[in-house]
Amino acid sequence: MTPREAALSPSPAESPARPVRLSQGDAGGGLSGTTESDAVLVARTLAGDLAAFAGLMARYRNGLGLYALHMLGNREDAEEALQDAFVRAYWALASCRDPQRFGAWLFRIVVNRCRTLQRRLRRHDRVVVLPDDLPTRGDVSETLGWREEIGRALDRLRPQYREAFLLRYVEGMEYEEIARLTGAKEPAVRMRVKRASQKLRELLHDVHAG
Amino acid sequence: MTFMPGDRRPQPDDPTLRRVVAELRRPVAFDPAIDAGALRVIGAGRRRATWARSRRWLGLAAALAASVVIAVGVYRTAPAGPRSRPVLLRLVAPASSAVVVVGDFNDWNPAANPLEQTGAGEWTIRLELRPGRYRYTFLVDGREWKSDPAEPPAPDDDYGAPLSVLTVS
Repeated sequence: MTPREAALSPSPAESPARPVRLSQGDAGGGLSGTTESDAVLVARTLAGDLAAFAGLMARYRNGLGLYALHMLGNREDAEEALQDAFVRAYWALASCRDPQRFGAWLFRIVVNRCRTLQRRLRRHDRVVVLPDDLPTRGDVSETLGWREEIGRALDRLRPQYREAFLLRYVEGMEYEEIARLTGAKEPAVRMRVKRASQKLRELLHDVHAG
Repeated sequence: MTFMPGDRRPQPDDPTLRRVVAELRRPVAFDPAIDAGALRVIGAGRRRATWARSRRWLGLAAALAASVVIAVGVYRTAPAGPRSRPVLLRLVAPASSAVVVVGDFNDWNPAANPLEQTGAGEWTIRLELRPGRYRYTFLVDGREWKSDPAEPPAPDDDYGAPLSVLTVS
């Protein structure tokens, strides 16, 4: 399991390839509390069990949604990309060669949907979305301001720079993996990550220092 | 700032970027309605696919039924082969009161084609026959079979009566 797959899983201890326990109420279609592996759920889905696919969606919704959110800049577009990716994944499921790595396969679809949506929408109405783990009420305004700045900075990056940065540092992918996923050459990926990092540092250094 | 235990994802060297990355990794919950929306779309697609499959079969069945109906209709109503040609049959039977013609073209039905008296002892009938070979004979006064002297006799005599053969080309 790659670091990115570990990060994508509902918890670091749980792997898509190994039995995963979904939190109660998180799994749709009557699969609450399922411990079935991705491969089993994929097989059940292919046999016509829609509830099994609901289990897979519930398992990956938050992890993939986070990438779409950072890539597209607002929750509405992220949700659209996510839903679209789920639907496409369902119809293309038979082409998933390694059901144990369903998460990685689905992630590729999400990345492509984000790219397509980005080109189509051309919108830049980035909206700050607060994380779920705000510790105290006092942190809200600080976190909101900080996230707002990060959002603005991400928005000022070229989409392929933003994509490379998120895939490298937020999803934890190796450069080689990113190259395979995006179709860019590995040196180009490294360059994109470097430039994205430089730009973000320039844009956010003062905010961070302040 | 939260790092998940065992998180092996790479970290930028720059402290500002590390803080950015930490912020971007913080979990955000997404509405389960996304899954429900996808399931609705998938369900609708499955219904469409099922309906399309049914429609294909229904279409094939309908096309087959229509073909049968058309074929039967054509068989029953449309002229089979080339157009009919007028044929004039003539028999001289001066002492007769009624003459009919029976043959392959009217299923040997004596009521189908009575001849008209058109002159002194001359009986004629005009038929529309499609090209082909027909056996026929005249029935005079309901009891006497007479072959057509204008046409060759038929080689077979299944009915025990003299038959003629008419070839329409």
